[in-house]
Amino acid sequence: MNTISTSIEVNEASLRKEFDHCSDIVFRSFRLRDQTLLLLVYFDGMTRLQSVEDNILKPLLFSGLPQGIDRIQSLGEMFGREWLPLTDIKKDKSLEDLVHHILQGSLGILVEGEASALSVQVQGYKTRSIEEPKKESTLRGSKEGFVEDIHTNVSLIRRRIIHPHLKTDSFTIGTYTQTEVILAYMQGLADEKVLAEVRKKLEKIEIDGIIDSAYIEEWLEESSFSIFPQIQNTERPDIVTASLLEGKIALLTNGTPFALILPVTFWSGLQSADDYFERFIFVILIRFIRFLMTFISFSLPALYVSLSTFHPEMIPRTLTISIATAREQSPFPTVIEMLLMMIIFDGLQEAGVHIPNQLGPVMSIIGALIIGQAAVEAGIISTPIIIVISLTGIAAYMIPRYSAALPFRIIRYLLLFTSGLLGFVGFAFGMIFMLIHLVSLESFGTPYLSPIAPFDGTRIKDLIIRYPFWMKNGRNKKGRQQ
Amino acid sequence: MMRTVFLAFFSVGLVLSTSGCTDFVELNQLAFIIGTAIDYAENGQIEVSQQIVIPSKKEDPSKREGSSSFFVMSAKGKDVFQATQKIQLRMSRKLMANHRMIIAISEEYFKKDDVRKLFDKLIRDPANNLRDTIVMIKGGSAKEFLMLNHPIEPLSTIAVGKELQINGMRSFSSRQFVIETLTKGARPFMPVLQIENVKLSKEHDSPVAELHGFAVLDHHLKVKGILGLPEAPGAIWMSGKGSSQGATIPWNNNKDVVSFRLTRLQRQMTSANGHDPKHMVLTVKAQAYLLENTSQQDMSEVENMMELQKCLNKQIQKELQSTIEKVQQWGPDVFGIGEYLHHNYPYWWKSQRDDWDDKFKRIEVTVKTDIILRSIGVSGAPVK
Repeated sequence: MNTISTSIEVNEASLRKEFDHCSDIVFRSFRLRDQTLLLLVYFDGMTRLQSVEDNILKPLLFSGLPQGIDRIQSLGEMFGREWLPLTDIKKDKSLEDLVHHILQGSLGILVEGEASALSVQVQGYKTRSIEEPKKESTLRGSKEGFVEDIHTNVSLIRRRIIHPHLKTDSFTIGTYTQTEVILAYMQGLADEKVLAEVRKKLEKIEIDGIIDSAYIEEWLEESSFSIFPQIQNTERPDIVTASLLEGKIALLTNGTPFALILPVTFWSGLQSADDYFERFIFVILIRFIRFLMTFISFSLPALYVSLSTFHPEMIPRTLTISIATAREQSPFPTVIEMLLMMIIFDGLQEAGVHIPNQLGPVMSIIGALIIGQAAVEAGIISTPIIIVISLTGIAAYMIPRYSAALPFRIIRYLLLFTSGLLGFVGFAFGMIFMLIHLVSLESFGTPYLSPIAPFDGTRIKDLIIRYPFWMKNGRNKKGRQQ
Repeated sequence: MMRTVFLAFFSVGLVLSTSGCTDFVELNQLAFIIGTAIDYAENGQIEVSQQIVIPSKKEDPSKREGSSSFFVMSAKGKDVFQATQKIQLRMSRKLMANHRMIIAISEEYFKKDDVRKLFDKLIRDPANNLRDTIVMIKGGSAKEFLMLNHPIEPLSTIAVGKELQINGMRSFSSRQFVIETLTKGARPFMPVLQIENVKLSKEHDSPVAELHGFAVLDHHLKVKGILGLPEAPGAIWMSGKGSSQGATIPWNNNKDVVSFRLTRLQRQMTSANGHDPKHMVLTVKAQAYLLENTSQQDMSEVENMMELQKCLNKQIQKELQSTIEKVQQWGPDVFGIGEYLHHNYPYWWKSQRDDWDDKFKRIEVTVKTDIILRSIGVSGAPVK
């Protein structure tokens, strides 16, 4: 199977062989008035039939050959000039190309006596309409979110950056899924070295199928064993746009609303889109609280255990006695109690994601009443532990990006383990270990903790304190001067 | 590489946890000492009593009827540690003194034994947080003080600690005591409590520990005298420790009285003429707020205000001067004047420091006051 034969029967036979057992393939052949045989091949449900009927079938059947400035004598000539009232027409010389295009939803047109075929892009399948992103909702700012269709997604970005420097390179990845992946970047702003590296890595991917951008994420990451994500994912076009303008690179994957952004730093996980939409003074306050809550989200259980079981002299007097009173009945050591509650809390959280909507209330009753209240009243778990765990859980949701909060949930267990063994010494040990890892981690050449370590005074203006836009002279200004 | 790192961490964790190589103590394995009492015992021994809080009873008021939220255990020993060890042997939980609020020493112990023996334990043992307050119990034994109930607070010791704080006398921690004992140019000043029967309700009167005054201790930590309540606040002010206090002075040729709240208490020391260490000038500063006036005078009149401020300064000066003279007769320099002289006349100080308690008596100290009347209150003229 290689080139297209001039005989339409041969072609049809080989196409039918190729699409054997495909119930949704449609072959439609008909003769024009000049007795030329035509064959249309397409997949049912993948093409806009209306467009096919109006632009191809009707004119050919009823009006004969379309007449332009010159008179067209034969269908072959029309073919040569690609004279069809449709925009995207490709001429396929080989059968493989034709098959590929038909699979993508194009309409294949074969003509008796022609050694080539036309594939007309009339893709028209049902897609989800643009909705507000559920995972990263904001109070102010655009309500548009990415959808599964990559072309819609690219257009969402293209609409926001009206500049020819926005480049979109297309890659096809996956032996079977043939998934389209688009590498978007701003020419002149994005780092060429990073771009070359990403291109090289994308070409190297060998996989049967890409179901979600997460597949690509794992192929691209350098430190695969790190618990910290080195690529950010988002379903917000405005975040992608802002990142592109900062000189970052975005990867869009067909079939998923989640775009990838790289390189990222530790801090970008702690920034929300709303930070740039609200008044900056308020944002400074919220960011301080967010940093504090982030610290709480991984350290509070460990701090509680080390304070109450190793260093009770460091807790204020009245608080010590209150905690001691609450602990009078507890059968387990504090570490075990804390570990139990952490497992239960994470279990509840995970169950909440998977539980069918109708059963949601059932789980909140079980969670709140049975585990919260009954366990305390029965004296199995002490009240301060419940408070600590709930506070930790809430704190983790203060982190705006879900994937950015995941590493802290792992660290929570590690720190609990070290503090349970050695108290503050263990806590310090765990923290130092984490910091060493963070400092040595890189995301596509960018140190993970930058601009703090290594320190960069010009980029620090958007870390804890978000300076107003007219005071920031970072990446944006440089780009404007070019 | 990754494997070995993981294995190393895993095995270290496993070894530490399975061998029980942790030394955590749960809060319900601890007995919190809130107060310690030191009493005199025969044969050169001391009696140490520890007031221990019962956690499960502390927050529940319904259970407080009849049974108290604490208990006191005491034992005799040659030193504090030995006695405490004896108490520990009778306890199911580990004693923890880090949260102690009060160390009470009986007057009897001050008289018959040497307090300096206790001093070493105070600064050597790291379990002492030095945030607690050392008080002297006049009359009764210190152990008795620990056993008292208090009408509001669950423990008598907590009550005393709060009493001192709320009345602007924060600088009586044992840390301050240690500093004053170790410096040569200052002497400790210690709160004195007395147990008195107070009628709190119709049915019964109960014993309550009340602040009686402040003991002036000398270099050997012996009591040289006790300043009673009318004089003690002034002495605290002059030693630079107080933050606020009240004052009531006669007015209108002793026919009426006016009362003030004094805030922002400060004191300054200078030597007279700038070079004579034997003649000191102690200036006290404060801001006064008029809160009560029994006379019929209109205080919103500027002349009256000026008169009032002048009278206040004069009266306070008189009282403080007599307090200083009283303390000077006893000898110990609780005001820290010696420290000022040490800093400003180091060579002169060298000849004086060894017998400062005695030499302080011969220093001439003049008190000057600089009190500003800030406010005359909400109403100016008395209501007709």
